[in-house]
Amino acid sequence: MKYEILEHKADLKIRVFGKTREELFENAMVGMFEGAQYEPSSAGTRESKGGKAKREIKISSLDLPSLLVDFLSEVLYLSEVNREVYQKIQFKKFTEKEIEGILSGKKLKGIGVIIKGATYHGLDIHQKLGDKFWEATILFDI
Amino acid sequence: MISKKDFRKINDWLWGIPKSFRPDMRVPARIYVSEKMLEEVFRDESVPQLINGTTLPGIMKYGIAMPDCHEGYSVPIGFVGAIRTSDGIISPGACGFDINCGMKLLKSEYSEKEIEPHLEKLASEIQKEVPSGLGRGRQIKLSIGEIDRILEGGVPYLVEKGYGEKEDIENCEGNGKLEWADVSSVSNYAKNRGRDQVGTLGSGNHFLEVQKVQELFDEKVAKAFGLFKDQVVIMIHCGSRGLGHQVCTDYLREFIPLMTRKYKIPVPDREFACVPFNSSEGQRYFAAMASAANYAWANRQMIAHFVRKAWNSVLGEKASPLVALYDVAHNIIKKEKYNIDGKETEVALHRKGATRAFPPGHPEIPERYREVGQPVLIPGSMGTASYILVGTKEGEEAFFSTCHGSGRTMSRHEAMRRVSGQEVVKSLESKGIIVKCWSLRGIAEEAPMAYKDVEQVVNVVHQAGLSKKVARLVPLAVIKGE
Repeated sequence: MKYEILEHKADLKIRVFGKTREELFENAMVGMFEGAQYEPSSAGTRESKGGKAKREIKISSLDLPSLLVDFLSEVLYLSEVNREVYQKIQFKKFTEKEIEGILSGKKLKGIGVIIKGATYHGLDIHQKLGDKFWEATILFDI
Repeated sequence: MISKKDFRKINDWLWGIPKSFRPDMRVPARIYVSEKMLEEVFRDESVPQLINGTTLPGIMKYGIAMPDCHEGYSVPIGFVGAIRTSDGIISPGACGFDINCGMKLLKSEYSEKEIEPHLEKLASEIQKEVPSGLGRGRQIKLSIGEIDRILEGGVPYLVEKGYGEKEDIENCEGNGKLEWADVSSVSNYAKNRGRDQVGTLGSGNHFLEVQKVQELFDEKVAKAFGLFKDQVVIMIHCGSRGLGHQVCTDYLREFIPLMTRKYKIPVPDREFACVPFNSSEGQRYFAAMASAANYAWANRQMIAHFVRKAWNSVLGEKASPLVALYDVAHNIIKKEKYNIDGKETEVALHRKGATRAFPPGHPEIPERYREVGQPVLIPGSMGTASYILVGTKEGEEAFFSTCHGSGRTMSRHEAMRRVSGQEVVKSLESKGIIVKCWSLRGIAEEAPMAYKDVEQVVNVVHQAGLSKKVARLVPLAVIKGE
C-alpha cells in the first residue's frame, strides 16, 4: 500500500509508506494528488496533446521533515503553473537535505479539490524499527 | 482530555476556559456556542487548538472561537486573536493559506418572479463568463507587471481600468486595497501562480450563487442596505487562489526556522511559524499578506465584472445594474485599535475563519451604512441558506468579529462515503435549485450534511450580540468553479 487517507474534518490527511525514503516521497506525491482527485488526461486523447510531462525539480531544506513539505510544495507549484499532475519521480540526488530529480506525469484533466498547501501540522516522518520501512503522516490544506 | 466540565458558562452563548487550565496559556480561551453545540465541539481538536492560540506572545484578553469553529492546524478555523503589535508576534499559520478568502454580494433591483424566466440562461452565461482555472472557458494570463499593479492597487486599480463601478471601492472592506502591500515581499512563484487565476472561483467550498432574499429581520437596516423581500442577489465566495497559497507556503517555510532558532519563540505547533510583528521579517510578511489580500479583492471584483457581463447579456444592456452591497474577508490580519484595560492598544487582529463586524458609527464603514453598522456576509453550505448580518456595538467584546459560515462537521472522506455528487446535485435540483458545475468531482464533499447548521451558527452570534440578523437568503442557482 502506497498511502492511506486518514480522517480529518476539513483537510486532507494521509499516511504514506515506502521501502526507501525515495519511495516514501514518491508515494507522498501520489497520495497528495489522488487524495485530492487530480485526474490526469488519458494518453492519446484530444485533451492530452501528446500526454507526457517532464519537469526538473531541485530543492534543499533544513531537515528531512521540512524536505518532505518543501518537496510537495514544489511539486504543487509545478503542477499548478503547468497544469500537470505527476505520477513518478526519478531521483538524481537524495540526501536528508537535498533533492534533485525529474518528475514525470501528464496534463491535468480535472481536479476534485485544489490543494492549497502542505502543512507542518502533525508532520511525522520516521523509519520503523523492525523492517526499516519508512512511514510519514502529512496534512494538506484543501 | 478536555471535556465540558473544564468550561465555565459565562452566559447561554459564551463559554470560557480559564488561564489556569494549562501552564502555557497567556490569556483565557472563549468560545461562542450554544450548550447544545458545545457537545459537538469536543469531537475534533478545535478546543486544544484554541488553547494553543492563547499561548501566542502578545495575545490580549482572550483567544476566541466562533460557533462555526472546527479543527484546522495551529488554530481552529473560526479563531480570533488580538495580538499587541508593540511586542507581540504575527503568525502566517494563524491567517492560513487562503489569505482573504471572503464574500462579495451584488444586489439587483429585480424580484425572483422577474428573474425566473431568465434564470437558467443566466446561470449558464455566468458559468461561461467566469473563468475556470483549468482551461475551460475564458483564459486570462497576465504579465508579472500587471500582477504587481493588482497586488498594490487592488479594487481601485481594477475600477480605474474599467472593471467595475466607483461604488465598488467603498463597498468593500478596506476599500479593496490595503495600503501597506509591497510587491517585493511576494515571491515570483506566487506571482506566477496568480497570473492566470484572476477572476477564477477555485474549488471546494468556493461558489457563486444567485439567491433571493427570503426573509428580512430588521426593516431599518435592510432599508439602509438596499434590501427588499424576494430581491435577487448574487453571492461570491472565493479567495486569493494560488497566489495567496504560495505566499503562505513561502513564509511558513522561512519563518519556522526563524521562530525556533533566531527568535526562540516557544509554540505548541510548528505551523504557527510566528516572528515578532515589528521585526523586518514580520513586516515583510504583513506586506505580503496585504498584497495577497488585495489580489483576492481584485479576484472577487473581476468575478463581479464577469457576472455583470453575463447579467447584461441575458437581461439586456438596459437592465438595471448589479450594485455591490459589501465585500468582507474571513482569513486576514488587520491592524486595529482597541481600548484594553483603559489603554488604547494597537493589535494585529488575526481572523482565521472569522469576519469583521464593525459597529454603527465606525469611521471605516461606508457613509451610507454608518448609522446602522457594517454589513456581514455569511454563506451557508451548498444549497442551504446564507445570511446578511450587521455589526453591533456589543461586538467589541469579540474585537468586532463574528462567524464566517457553517463550519464542517464531517470529513470530506466521510461525506464521499455517505453520498455521491450526483445525489447531492439531484437533491438540490429537486428543490428547484439550478446547479452548474464542470464535473461532479468534489461535489459530494460539499453536501450540506457535512456542515454545521448555519441557522444554529447564526443564531448564536445573533443572541450573543456579536452581529444581528438582517436577511436570510436562499439559493436559486449554484455555480461551482473547477
